[in-house]
Amino acid sequence: MSAALSTSPVVGADDQLAAGPEAPARTPRRLRRESGMNPIDYNARSKAFRVLATVVLLLFALIWLVPLVFAVITSLKPEGEIASNPTSWWSNHFNFDAYAKVVQNTPILTWYLNSFIIAALTVVLTLLVCSMIGFALAQTRFRGRGAVFGLILAGLLIPGQILVLPLYQEIQAMGLLNTYWAMVLPAVAAPVAVFIFEAFFAGLPRALVEAARIDGASWFAVYWRICLPLCRPAVSAVAIFTFVTSWNNFLWPLLVLSDVNQMTIPVGMATVVGGYGIQYAQVMATAVLGALPLFVVFVLFQRRIVEGVASTGIK
Amino acid sequence: MAMQTTANAAPTRSGQRPLTRRALLTAGAAGLAGLAAGAAGCGSPVERGLLGTGSQPNSLVYWNLFSGGDGENMTKMVNNYSAAHPDVSVQATVLSWGTPYYTKLALATAGSSPPDVAVTHLSRLSTLAGNDLLQGFSADQLAKAGMPAGNFTPAAMQKSTVDGTIYAIPLDTHPFVMFYNVDVCREAGLLGADGKLKPIKGPEQLQAAFAAAKKVTGQYGAVVAVTNDPSTNWRWFATLYYQLGGQVMSADGPDVKLTLDNAKAEQALGFMRQLTASGLMPGTVDGAGVTSLFSTGKAGFLLDGEWQIPTYANTDLKFDVVPVPHVFGPKPVAFADSHALVLPRNSAMDDAKRALALGFVKFLLEDSLVWAAGGHIPAWLPVQRSKAFTSLTPQSNYVQAALTAEYDPPGWFSGAGSQFENVVGAAVASCQNGSASPAQAVQAIRSGLQPYLDAPAPGT
Amino acid sequence: MATATIIDDGSASGSPRSATIGETSTKSGADERRAGWWFSAPFLVLYLAFLVGPAIYGVVMSFSNATTLRPGLGSAAGWANYREVFASSEFWNSMGHTLWFTVLTTPPLVILAFVFAILADRLRHGRGLARFIFFAPYVLPVTSVTLIFTFLYAGEIGLIPTIFTVLGLEPPNLLGETSWAFISVAVLTVWWTIGFNFVVFLAGLQEVPRDVYEAAAVDGAKPGRTLWSVVLPLLRPTIVLVVMLQILASLQVFNQMYLMTGGGPGTSTRPVMEFIYDSGFSDARAGFAAAATMVYFFAVLVISVIWYLLRRPARKGAGG
Repeated sequence: MSAALSTSPVVGADDQLAAGPEAPARTPRRLRRESGMNPIDYNARSKAFRVLATVVLLLFALIWLVPLVFAVITSLKPEGEIASNPTSWWSNHFNFDAYAKVVQNTPILTWYLNSFIIAALTVVLTLLVCSMIGFALAQTRFRGRGAVFGLILAGLLIPGQILVLPLYQEIQAMGLLNTYWAMVLPAVAAPVAVFIFEAFFAGLPRALVEAARIDGASWFAVYWRICLPLCRPAVSAVAIFTFVTSWNNFLWPLLVLSDVNQMTIPVGMATVVGGYGIQYAQVMATAVLGALPLFVVFVLFQRRIVEGVASTGIK
Repeated sequence: MAMQTTANAAPTRSGQRPLTRRALLTAGAAGLAGLAAGAAGCGSPVERGLLGTGSQPNSLVYWNLFSGGDGENMTKMVNNYSAAHPDVSVQATVLSWGTPYYTKLALATAGSSPPDVAVTHLSRLSTLAGNDLLQGFSADQLAKAGMPAGNFTPAAMQKSTVDGTIYAIPLDTHPFVMFYNVDVCREAGLLGADGKLKPIKGPEQLQAAFAAAKKVTGQYGAVVAVTNDPSTNWRWFATLYYQLGGQVMSADGPDVKLTLDNAKAEQALGFMRQLTASGLMPGTVDGAGVTSLFSTGKAGFLLDGEWQIPTYANTDLKFDVVPVPHVFGPKPVAFADSHALVLPRNSAMDDAKRALALGFVKFLLEDSLVWAAGGHIPAWLPVQRSKAFTSLTPQSNYVQAALTAEYDPPGWFSGAGSQFENVVGAAVASCQNGSASPAQAVQAIRSGLQPYLDAPAPGT
Repeated sequence: MATATIIDDGSASGSPRSATIGETSTKSGADERRAGWWFSAPFLVLYLAFLVGPAIYGVVMSFSNATTLRPGLGSAAGWANYREVFASSEFWNSMGHTLWFTVLTTPPLVILAFVFAILADRLRHGRGLARFIFFAPYVLPVTSVTLIFTFLYAGEIGLIPTIFTVLGLEPPNLLGETSWAFISVAVLTVWWTIGFNFVVFLAGLQEVPRDVYEAAAVDGAKPGRTLWSVVLPLLRPTIVLVVMLQILASLQVFNQMYLMTGGGPGTSTRPVMEFIYDSGFSDARAGFAAAATMVYFFAVLVISVIWYLLRRPARKGAGG
């Protein structure tokens, strides 16, 4: 178990990175961690409770792992074995046949590519567009700024699903159905991203901007060379969330991507069925392949993703 | 790329990790770039995705909704085509059956990216054609493509035609039929000297036959899916109601009128309820239960679509299939639907592509003996009348049903797996399981359909 | 975001900081104003084109006989669509299904996540591992999740029915029976999305200053008592936030239901978003579906407003 622990990204290894404007709030947490002990556990009863907590949590963690592990195991079993013994956790004939068949029989590689291009385009444009207005709102004064703020705030109240019908007609009228742009353009103007950037830019000292301006830097240079590089945590948080959201989006691509070769991973997997009835190893292999890219992204950026989520609740 | 920015931020602080992370990312990016180059090489997905253009000559995109046994047969037919036309690349895609398929087909066509050829149920045709989603053909055009209208089962061809224009090329007729367990029926004395079921006519004879079978099985005489299967409920009801000469709806263009005959509907429902109330048939059983009861000999008869033949052909059960007996009315009528091939409307399709698509359709028709293995009656008469098919059992037993076929009523919300079937099927089920009287069920049909009848058809 | 999974991801961070950084007028005020607009322009263009515009167009659509098969509004419908929505038992049933799903998922997703967080907060080792395990499902695409659970739930061969059999129980039809179908999809949802709430709670717990616990311990408070009267009140803003985000997310359920049950058996589990999808895209009645959307949106809006009202005083005490 300890081996597994050491591989999990160590929390707090580079807390400073995420410092930004909220740095002071984090101090007590680090102190507490260094003490290595939760202060609530002062007496023996608490120690017993901690053991209980560990056991209970371990149990639930195991339950939580079951679907994933079982899916992976099933995907590696021969079909015949699944039919005769579907709930077995072991096979002497593990193989990658099902994966080969899925790759061969469905355009899953094309879907990967579509998903990736769409997500990447969305991330790049979202970062650019939302950081620019975030900068404008935080560091420049212009008439109508309050109105713009209110307008974007109102956008937070509108769940995206409300817009599917009019947006579908709009995209259809623009002739963009079955193109990547049908996915990318509506996703770029994300109010949440604006507020994240605005919060970061607002945390930068006004003097910094003014000094640069006095040195003759253009507004764009101030934004691009001075302020944006100081907002890396915001950039990475928005980038990761936009990427994940785009990749996992379902209802919208279900509507606008009806050409099988233009589909993204989640929609393609849900739309195209095998011609030979139900072959569970292949179904599970499809599920695993669909989950794989984001799982890898998650493993690589676990700390950052989790911190992004956590900050939702703290602010 | 955006991710790399993130990775760059870390190295000074956390040692090794970012390096491996970056290596992984680089490898991943390189892999994807390779994939992109490969895909861009053969043109379309990326090019289409970015520029909205790109089409490949000498390739066909074909959508269907067949899985299981039908899926296997269809794959065989497509492979046969590819073997005979090695220069044409066919991309056959199987989509989930029912409403999702039709939604997708409509959206793809409206989104100017339809498949070149697609399968449809003929019961859905008027809706698709009414919404201007299909290419229409004159009889001459089809004849020129080697498919004269006279070469198809007349009932199916008639259903393929809307206002004189042919919108679909029928592939088969798949009627609602009656299966019987040969051993049970022999013991019950229901078989003739030839070992075939003796003809059954009229409600009394049918009840008597079910009763005789019930005595042998000790459980049920016959079985039909009631629970969670609105379509089957509708089919069984439609068979009896159509035999009585009833009509559910009529349509004049987009305007749909309810023409339900209360008396006839109540008579049909009353008879169905009598069968379940008397215990000759179970009143609450779902699809899986039906399969289990019939395949284990606990019911002598089964009312279901002929497409279930492969389900039972794989078991030890000895069974045969006949048209649903002529219970009511002056002439036998069978409820049925047809699979047909359509060319969705596509302004980008040129004549060469259209000819290629029609050639593909014709090949499937001529190869439809393969298709018949799934229980379906080929609509293409040269195959239907061929020796190979007439000697195919049990399929050839119920060819009659294709000739007397009646379909789902017209209307934009009607057709296979539609809201219409859901509404009527639910009401029929409530009558069969005894939770509603026939009169109440008729009322439920009326009130359930009313919102759709009141609503304007889409696009008007 | 056109159709986010959980639209409100991080929206809590999105309330405007009162941006009063001192209105020091710089020498180049006009230049700054122009720059502000230029920097805002790309966003505003896209925002107006793909959010504000469609939102207004959606209202117009709801009074028309528009169809998804063609661009354009078609003929005017007056209030007919709304009358039909209000009279439609199918619509209100689907609203009921969505509400029932919300009732089924919100308590476990909040309480279980909170319990997990409390337990994980006690761990001396393995907090990171716990976070990893509980949060990992959250990044999976919905289709992978539903494929896996459809297999786990499958009659005769699935893992879950087998567990029923092993326990000596008759395995229910997990997806084919209305009441079980709700529960099955709710279980999937808990497994899939609990990580989000868990991480938020855990972060909230770790923000509780050490001296609070110390003071409580010095006063002789038992852990349970400390939890109840010290930790819970401190976490109140986080709890309110998580509950409301969860309710809003559950009220928008579509993906899992559509993929697992298709709203079935019959339409007995069909959530309101699927009703809108069915009428708007399967029946192609965009105008009617837009009207249904407006009625549904109004309900969600009422809940959102309650959230903002609840959150406002809570934020003052949060000190975040």
